[in-house]
Amino acid sequence: MLKIITILLLTIFFICGNAFSQDTENIIKYRKNIMKALGNHISIIASNLKGKVEINSDILPHSKALFITLAAIDINKTFPEGTSNSSGLNTKSLPNIWQEKKTFEESMSNSTQKAKDLVTAAESNDKKAIGKALGALGKTCGSCHNKFREKKN
Amino acid sequence: MVAAIINLEKRKINFLKLKNLILLTLVNYLLLFESAYCNERGKMLSHVAGCYGCHTLNNKIPFSGGYEIKTKYGTFISPNITFDQTNGIGKWNIEDFSKAIKLGINPNGKPYYPVLPYKWYSNLNKKDIEDIYDYLKSLSTSPIKQKPHNLKFPYNIRNLLWIRRIIEEKIFPTKRIKIEEKIEMEGAYIVNTVAHCGACHSPRTFLSIIDDINDLSGYHRSSNKLNDGAPNISNNYKKGIGSWDSYDLVFFLKNGFKPNGDYVEGHMSLIIENGTSFLSENELKSVSKYLLSEYNN
Repeated sequence: MLKIITILLLTIFFICGNAFSQDTENIIKYRKNIMKALGNHISIIASNLKGKVEINSDILPHSKALFITLAAIDINKTFPEGTSNSSGLNTKSLPNIWQEKKTFEESMSNSTQKAKDLVTAAESNDKKAIGKALGALGKTCGSCHNKFREKKN
Repeated sequence: MVAAIINLEKRKINFLKLKNLILLTLVNYLLLFESAYCNERGKMLSHVAGCYGCHTLNNKIPFSGGYEIKTKYGTFISPNITFDQTNGIGKWNIEDFSKAIKLGINPNGKPYYPVLPYKWYSNLNKKDIEDIYDYLKSLSTSPIKQKPHNLKFPYNIRNLLWIRRIIEEKIFPTKRIKIEEKIEMEGAYIVNTVAHCGACHSPRTFLSIIDDINDLSGYHRSSNKLNDGAPNISNNYKKGIGSWDSYDLVFFLKNGFKPNGDYVEGHMSLIIENGTSFLSENELKSVSKYLLSEYNN
């Protein structure tokens, strides 16, 4: 009888544990996709600024998409507790996202504001202003990554 | 008749006066232009060469030092390089300045730690050194006295640097590659002399000596506690930046965005903000032409 109970408990633990790790893996993949989406919008805008392509009409919609995507990020749901790189998970999110949550939220809010400024610049069709606004947004991305993302090398 | 001749002579004199005045104005204008150009170039060079980045902790008092560089040997604290007479370099003449940055020797004959990248600066041309010197001299001074470096034993014994210098000069002498093409040559001058990219991106050997300043295949961080690693920026397609094109590189060095839209991380964000973004479009094109050439394989 004791054996059966032990096996049953172990099975329950295994299933729950597995479900938990699948949930965390899914959320990590999900937020990586959000970051990739942001990167793709930037890459599209940048390609036009660099002169690699001349489809300037794409700058405004992708600036808007960038702003909307950033503004929509639900920090609590996208960065739930227990999903840092210290848990041995496949992520670069540092634990101080949760330890200094207010600073993290402020950084995200700064980036959102700069993305809004990018939309304003994109509406003017002035490439110099767009480049400047994109650069300012980049600095906020960089300062957030420097504090909260594990370095590559 | 005589009156007519006198009138003609007067006209001649007036014309000569006017001619001299025009010439003088032109010369003055050219001199002003030259000095403004020098200052502009001096400013650009002082940023790209990292003088500003390494010697500025507070951007309200630029070049007054205090910036900390943490290494496995301890912490280096940059000195004040404003022209303050007591705590800066106000007493230095151009020869002292040139000797300091090209040879890494201070006016008292003592060696600087290689955290000052004199190995790269040794190739700086005379005019560029003068432009940096003149630019620094034109700025406001700061009386701040910086703390000495905080290094571990035995690295805190400055005279031991002479031994390192002998090893470096005899076993790992600095080799410069010969480049025929004008644009690549200009790019190489910025990469391997002014901007000293290899100071972070070249592999290091014994006593952190860099064997080959032309090798930009990256440096792996010395420990998990230090963020002193730098990626491979050789023209290798898989390991380096060989998949980037000139547009990507120019944009990256100006704005910090990689081709995939990710923003640069770590120290490089400051190098771009305080350094490479000061380069002109043409200078950035030369840099990318060199970095993406066969010389940077």
